[in-house]
Amino acid sequence: MILNLERFQAQARPRWNALESLLVGLEGRPDRRLNPAEAQQLQDLYARAATDLNRVTHGALAPELRQYLERLVARAYAELYYAPPTRSEVWQPRRWLRIFRAFPESFRRQSRYFALAVLVTVLGCTLGGIAVYYDPASVDVLLPADYLRNPDERVHQEEQGQGRHFGSTQTEAAFSAQLIRHNIEVALLAAAMGVTFGIGTALLLFENGVLLGAVAVHYTQRGFGLFMTAWLLPHGAFEIPSILIAGQAGFYLARLLLRRREDRNLRQSMREWLVLVAGLAMMLVWAGIMEAFFSQHHAPVLPYGFKVTVAAAELSLLTIYLLLVGRGETGAQARLGVPSESR
Amino acid sequence: MIATDSTRASTAVELTIATPEGVLFRLPLASPASRLYAVLLDMVIVLGTVNAIGMLVYLVFAKVPGFGVMVITLGEFAIGFAYGALMEGFWNGQTIGKRLFHLRVIDQTGLPLRIEQAWVRNLMRVFDALPFAYLVGGISALSSPLMQRFGDRVAGTLVVRQTPLAVPGEESWTRQKYNSFMEYPAIAVHLRRSATPEIASLIEDALRRRNELAPYARREIYREMAKYLQSEISPFPDELVERLSDEQYLINASGILFGERRSSRVQG
Repeated sequence: MILNLERFQAQARPRWNALESLLVGLEGRPDRRLNPAEAQQLQDLYARAATDLNRVTHGALAPELRQYLERLVARAYAELYYAPPTRSEVWQPRRWLRIFRAFPESFRRQSRYFALAVLVTVLGCTLGGIAVYYDPASVDVLLPADYLRNPDERVHQEEQGQGRHFGSTQTEAAFSAQLIRHNIEVALLAAAMGVTFGIGTALLLFENGVLLGAVAVHYTQRGFGLFMTAWLLPHGAFEIPSILIAGQAGFYLARLLLRRREDRNLRQSMREWLVLVAGLAMMLVWAGIMEAFFSQHHAPVLPYGFKVTVAAAELSLLTIYLLLVGRGETGAQARLGVPSESR
Repeated sequence: MIATDSTRASTAVELTIATPEGVLFRLPLASPASRLYAVLLDMVIVLGTVNAIGMLVYLVFAKVPGFGVMVITLGEFAIGFAYGALMEGFWNGQTIGKRLFHLRVIDQTGLPLRIEQAWVRNLMRVFDALPFAYLVGGISALSSPLMQRFGDRVAGTLVVRQTPLAVPGEESWTRQKYNSFMEYPAIAVHLRRSATPEIASLIEDALRRRNELAPYARREIYREMAKYLQSEISPFPDELVERLSDEQYLINASGILFGERRSSRVQG
């Protein structure tokens, strides 16, 4: 049927304008909720606009009008079919605090990906350790920074306080911020590289492991094992697990993307990934503070035994937190914040 | 002119959505270039804000500059991610840059995006921005049928182009008092029956765009179309056609095709 565009537009324009002003009103509201009368009106106007669009698409060659109606229908469709989050979901700080419980729960739920991350890192560690043990010259290749290659000099400097450019709390504060930022960036990258089917994540973890293994063996060989433990572990107790959790998030993402499309519950999975990332970011804030304010102080000021004890205490607290918090207290539903899902 | 045409061609990718009611509509996808401009603008905005806040922080922490640096470093980092995620999450898929470039992030089903999707796609920027200037994200977008960078693929979102549109205006050319084709009802009915919607729309479109066409092109197009109608579909008598310009011929023909009242008079 050939459409008389002019008359058609004259008739339909009032209802398009009505729909448009209704939409403008709705889109301006932050919670985007409709009252029953508005819902009815929107439904009616949407249905009519959709019919109009069909007629224009099949009865006339009017690209501008068709575009206009498509836009109108798309906006109305979005308002009708979108279930907005409730105000309480978004603005209640108590819900935000749930992250402290959600994090260990997500961690345990996806523990096999954590195991995979540990495996890759341990492989890297072993390789780096073996390489340095049997071929000390490989240190030059494996360890990028000068200070890592010459432990004797470094330890001497550190203990004399010469190497410490962290004279005051001031510079330590600035330094900790840089550390936090850099570490979170690297960890986030590991978590995001899940999109490379986990290959990028694995490479990052492996490289990290090689470095760790090489440094550990190198310093131990020179007899600075205790110094190194006291130097690295107070912040490493949080830093190393958080990188492993980043790897866990990366592998989790990779597995998710490899699933068939219909098997994915994207919304829930995205929350899981976000919770892991948020959790590891919090851990890295603590690690950065420890690294700048605590780890850099050495023997005369802080005895090594004390530093190692602090590190051990941190590690056990973290383990307890990750393994026990939220266990058995809540049902699966409350954990994921699923109630909104049922709407 | 050529430039605008080529941009149109390169961004002509679109997403077609079928609603449960069986209505199809298309959403034009945003080009990677316009998205990059929007990101650059947003970066300028974020840096400006952070520096303004930074001044304030320096004043507040004048006695302890180290903590000032700490606050600024972390603030800048957090704002960098939170700006995009919160703006898109709470402002219907738009940041300031996206709004100025008429872009909007939506769910790939055509619905508004959710806050967690906004966070995921913005956190994924650390990967998409590698190694510089969003190279990874750009390649991903160009190789994806829906122009999605990796962050969009993971979050299930896409960016659409939303230039403001108004209802096309009313036309005056169909309102004519006298149509000489009406004097030949048999031929007029024949024209009405045998013209396809495509031809009818073509005539209408050619007339509606009268003022957009260059005089020479208009003359040629109208001549071709009138010739086609006259020879292939509805041969009106020569003595009538000779008196009419090609444009008048088409106006008359469209009057026959679209004017229902007049056609009833023809048939009656």
